[in-house]
Amino acid sequence: MMSYLKLTNFELSRFFKMYLVLIGITLVMQTLSVVWTANNYLGEINEQLSSGSTVEEAINGWGLFSFDFITRGFWFSAPILLCIASLLIYVFFIWYRDWLGKNTFAYRLFMLPTARLNVFLAKATAIFLMVLGLISIQLVFLTIENELMKMIVPNTFREDLTINEIINGFDYLRVLYPVSFIQFFINYGIGFMAVIVVFTGILFERSFRWKGIILGVLFSGIALIVFFLPILLHETILNHFFYPTELFILMLISGLIVIAGSIWMSNYLLNKKIRV
Amino acid sequence: MIEVKDITKKFGRKKVLNGVSFTANKGEITCLIGINGVGKTTVLNAIMNLTPINSGEILIDGNKINKDSYEKITFIPDAITMLPSMKISDAMTFMADFYNAWNQTRADELLSFFKLDANERISSLSKGNTAKVNMLLGLALDVDYLLMDEPFSGIDIFSREQIAEVFTSHLVEDRGVIITTHEINDIEHLIDKAVLLNDGVVLREFNAEEVRETEGKSIIDVMREVYHA
Repeated sequence: MMSYLKLTNFELSRFFKMYLVLIGITLVMQTLSVVWTANNYLGEINEQLSSGSTVEEAINGWGLFSFDFITRGFWFSAPILLCIASLLIYVFFIWYRDWLGKNTFAYRLFMLPTARLNVFLAKATAIFLMVLGLISIQLVFLTIENELMKMIVPNTFREDLTINEIINGFDYLRVLYPVSFIQFFINYGIGFMAVIVVFTGILFERSFRWKGIILGVLFSGIALIVFFLPILLHETILNHFFYPTELFILMLISGLIVIAGSIWMSNYLLNKKIRV
Repeated sequence: MIEVKDITKKFGRKKVLNGVSFTANKGEITCLIGINGVGKTTVLNAIMNLTPINSGEILIDGNKINKDSYEKITFIPDAITMLPSMKISDAMTFMADFYNAWNQTRADELLSFFKLDANERISSLSKGNTAKVNMLLGLALDVDYLLMDEPFSGIDIFSREQIAEVFTSHLVEDRGVIITTHEINDIEHLIDKAVLLNDGVVLREFNAEEVRETEGKSIIDVMREVYHA
């Protein structure tokens, strides 16, 4: 257990600088996006007011400014997409960097006096914590940015939204911040399962090289079929036989089977087939 | 004792090891000798379970390798096994964090013996100093067996002398050492047992001292005989 925690901490510290850069980029781009969008709006309103329109006419023309104006802009969602893309790439890089170059750290990792599965679990946990960390920080940023917007745009021209309303008004954020715990469990559970399956695919490649790519793709395909099997049966052969709750429980079980199967296979590959 | 029993290893269709067997005892230096590409490194990787074998068996003190074995046996490859961004001191801290067998006093002793700067980054080390750091990280573990892959490969004469000195010191005393090399001049007189490999098979396994006494031949003489034949 101690080794697992130490390895998780080690994996997190290896990505820490890059993580800070991502957080920095997000903060700067989104803050600039708030300032720029709000000032643009105020510029248009002032222009209309200076051309003789009343406040009501200006509001009727441009609408009340809300945080939705900002979230719809490119500069707000770009850093979110950048973070998602970086973490997706890192799912692969977290393994391959230990083999690449002349410094083969994989030697050291696999010679540690601990179960090799701990290396696998530490990497998966690190990815999961990084994701949770980023969405937590984004939530804090949303609160700060919302307050910043209120400081820039006068009350008269503003429609204040709660954080909940901001999230529900924007597709990306709705996925990142589900409204219920069940939905959160589903979204992040599926994400975690996907990471575990991809890790197993990577270990297939690291064990069998070219053949391993085919085996890894096959394994991922089988995992996908097993996971969606309840829905496939429900929609085809069983003709909508299950109640939604039953379907949810079956999907939960199939998800757990996929996770357990992937971990078992990864453990086998790490102990019996992996090549450094 | 490390027992390598009839191991075979294929990479694709190529058989790299074809029924390799030998033993290495505690307190002895066993040298795997052969030209590049005969499977010396593969044998060491196989002992450490860093590459799977197709058949055969490897036992360490009668047991198959498991996670606890890494407190008893260590491998010093010819590539550095630490992150380039780490300082030597970070690498030592990493080892101390994970290994109960880590001996900090010995690590400090080795640091001054090799005249290394603990604040130097791994990425900025010369080839010779990289080899020394590798040696440090392996030798500072209180383990029974040490595997070393080409410790003299591509390094300057002074670094070679310093590393060779390690073999006559208390640092390897009472430990079982398996070393691979194709340049045995520096350590020929230290080797207890030699295993000559070629094309994945053991051509000859012999006790160096016995051969010296009974046949009056050095390891290099035997190598000439075996490889020229």
